[in-house]
Amino acid sequence: MPTYTGAVPGPDVFSALASPVRRSLLELLADQPQTVEELAARFDMRRPSVSQHLRVLKDSGLVREQRSGRHRVYRIDATPLREVTDWLHPFERFWRERLNSLAQLLDEDKA
Amino acid sequence: MTRLLTIKVDQFLPHPPSRVWRALIDPDLLGRWLMPNDFQPRVGHRFSFNAGSFGRPECEVLELEEERLLRISWRNRSLDTVLTWRLVPEGSGTRMLVEHSGFDVDDGFQSDAFDAMGDGWSERVATTLATFLDSLALEEPG
Repeated sequence: MPTYTGAVPGPDVFSALASPVRRSLLELLADQPQTVEELAARFDMRRPSVSQHLRVLKDSGLVREQRSGRHRVYRIDATPLREVTDWLHPFERFWRERLNSLAQLLDEDKA
Repeated sequence: MTRLLTIKVDQFLPHPPSRVWRALIDPDLLGRWLMPNDFQPRVGHRFSFNAGSFGRPECEVLELEEERLLRISWRNRSLDTVLTWRLVPEGSGTRMLVEHSGFDVDDGFQSDAFDAMGDGWSERVATTLATFLDSLALEEPG
């Protein structure tokens, strides 16, 4: 069987996305950049917990933090998400695998 | 609003376009790297692939340009898509560009496809990400 050789996102991206709370945070940030206070207001959760989730997202590269006066504003970073989406999409994977098969077939079948 | 997703993948092949073209339009060769099929290189020809866990997509040859382009329709279950292969000479080889378009991200396609792939764990994430991808694509210039 051909194997998939495209870029695979780092494991911290997957563990960051494994939490429903963090996925909800990403959905909120996809709408617009927000402060931790604004985000915390949307959850039945204390601010330090939200901050902790945001730190995991930041460490995985999924969100960026920016200081604005006394506030920290969080915004989504598209790059790792795009990697994950590409990796996850079944047909993207399918075609990459098939094209590898084609390359192998053409290399072997020199005659 | 229907939002359609296009998959684009390309690969450089160190072989001339004539050779790559043959691997694309010869049903036996096509079956060896893609899937078993009853393809014939003739516009209007209807055929199917045996796609294993993806089912049996019903296809029709839509467009055919010798050593340059092959376009087919690809329908099964909730999928109603168009698949285009383009061959572009590059040095002494060929770049093959594959474009698979018409995936409706709002229409259960994701869950169908993921079930077929056995990747059930990622269903929720994938749906979310498909939405992201869509919104990000809108933001990108070009």
